[in-house]
Amino acid sequence: MNKAAPNFYDVDMPIRSFITKRLIGVRSKSSVQEAAKKMVEFNTGSLVVIEDEDIVGFITDGDIKKKVVAEGLKTDMPVKEIMVKELITADISSTIKDVLEIMAEKNIQHILIDEDDDIVGIVTFRDLIDIKRQKLETYISRE
Amino acid sequence: MRILHISDTHIGKKDHYNKESLKIALKELEDDDLDMLIHSGDLTQDGSLKHYEKAKKIFDKISIPHIIIPGNHDKRSGGLSLFKDHFGSPNGVFESQKAVVIYVDSAVPDTDIGRVGMVKYDMIKEALAEYCNKSIKIVVLHHHTVPIPKAGRERNVLSNAGDLLELFLKGDVDLVLSGHRHYPNVHRIENTVFVNAGTASDKKTRYGDINSYNLIKIEKKTLTVRTKRIDGSKEKKCFPRKDKRVFYDFGDKIFRVVHTSNTFVSSSPKFLQTHFLNALKIINSLDCDLTIHCGGVVEEGINQNYELAKTYMEKFNVPIIYTPAGRDINYLGYELFKEYFGKMLQSYSNEEVLFRGVSSAQYDSPEGYIGETQKEELFNELEDQNRSFKSVFLHHNILPIPHAREKGLLEDSGDFLREIVNKRIDLVLTGTSSHPSAMKIGETVVVNANSMSSVYQRSRYGNSFNVIDIYEKAIVVYEINSLWGNRKILGVWDRNS
Repeated sequence: MNKAAPNFYDVDMPIRSFITKRLIGVRSKSSVQEAAKKMVEFNTGSLVVIEDEDIVGFITDGDIKKKVVAEGLKTDMPVKEIMVKELITADISSTIKDVLEIMAEKNIQHILIDEDDDIVGIVTFRDLIDIKRQKLETYISRE
Repeated sequence: MRILHISDTHIGKKDHYNKESLKIALKELEDDDLDMLIHSGDLTQDGSLKHYEKAKKIFDKISIPHIIIPGNHDKRSGGLSLFKDHFGSPNGVFESQKAVVIYVDSAVPDTDIGRVGMVKYDMIKEALAEYCNKSIKIVVLHHHTVPIPKAGRERNVLSNAGDLLELFLKGDVDLVLSGHRHYPNVHRIENTVFVNAGTASDKKTRYGDINSYNLIKIEKKTLTVRTKRIDGSKEKKCFPRKDKRVFYDFGDKIFRVVHTSNTFVSSSPKFLQTHFLNALKIINSLDCDLTIHCGGVVEEGINQNYELAKTYMEKFNVPIIYTPAGRDINYLGYELFKEYFGKMLQSYSNEEVLFRGVSSAQYDSPEGYIGETQKEELFNELEDQNRSFKSVFLHHNILPIPHAREKGLLEDSGDFLREIVNKRIDLVLTGTSSHPSAMKIGETVVVNANSMSSVYQRSRYGNSFNVIDIYEKAIVVYEINSLWGNRKILGVWDRNS
């Protein structure tokens, strides 16, 4: 059955124009606490993990919560130990729909975007729903 | 891929057309490595049948793929139909294995202005979506998208240049080719290189320049533009094709500045008091060093607004410096601004950073202008100051803003922008047209602020202001929602070395 597409944007649009082209990174030997500080400083829920200038992993605030804090582990452990090594990526030519499907299938909210085997950006679920937020805000803020 | 880019040939009578110059340019076609020729408009002098026939004879001899688009001169006296008869569609897409070239007619018949209407805008957007996998994406238009220097009386860009600029940057267009102003110029904004060709064979050149054309080479990692003049002299600019995407080493933070605009304080419903007060609360909690207000402090320059604005602005717990907008200095505002907020030209500096205000507002007019005298003084002063970070702030924008037409663009933006880029000024803050944007042109980051607290704003995320964090090694720009405080990164760039 064909489902009606949400009316706020065309889900068949290439993801290219929705991506955040700047990624914040952390060195693999940095501590989990340093990574958390970076997430707070740059207001981001995820970081790419860098080793010798290459992206070798990915870490989200959820990883810190689940793999460190909830387990009662110390936050001075290196990021390397909790990072996700197998990067989940979408090709830059994917559509919004493709990306949403990968997010749903893998149960993730941040996805790296690659082009010619290079990571060139990131898309988060939040980026896609933020577009809809202003209407709500206008309703709330009527003076 | 190698391209011969020519423009503004103005083929016609001898009083304009220098056929020897065009012969020199077209001699480049003897180079077997050239993949295509692109002519970015004003093929003929007056769009007449005679001139089109003459042009056709010349370009029929070209054996490599070539794209020719019309300019304003080609559409004079109904010349568009003659263009179509002789050279085919003025709009279209050329595709090769690796590249796509989207070409669009931006001329408006019997005027000199440029416009890409909504239909053609959508055509470019759809083509960029359809061909997004091509590793080289090129757009060709006669009129310029980015203001160019020394452009004489018509300084301004395409009327919807802001929308196009946003489209090109989001669509990762590699190269935008234009002509029109008979002055060669190259700017790189983010990952996109904007190339303006000089005139290949019109005797009407600017500032004592001579006829010229461009040779462009696009390789896997670099894009090189060689501007060749007919006397054999050359200028070369080489750019990397991919900008830096991952940032992890920032060094210490040396300064945090809040950048705001169009607060529109007044007792009218156009001033959103809740937004202002929430934004104020957020700003006061940000531990910032300075707030820069880029104009539009009050809705109109009248006493009751200034009185109200003064009480609101006193609530900031950080120093604020201002530059006025036209609306701040209309009515009695010219006097009131100085009475309530100090000098027209304000600045801030410490040992490391310098923020210097520029006056671009004109009373009773939305237009902005800096002028030669102020510009010279500004750059002399900046050169004398020994600071590792230099910034300029003004009300009017120096790059086109989406959804805003060109009215907020500084009248002399082409010359000012060129100087800013040449002098490698670190940061320019502007505040017209209420649309948040941040982009790097050359080595300069240019940031525009949305309206912090007026109903007239253009961000889909709502009213907002910007925060700019200057680190030892990088600069980060955030947009912060006035009402909720949500923060999103508008850009991150390495600091100039």
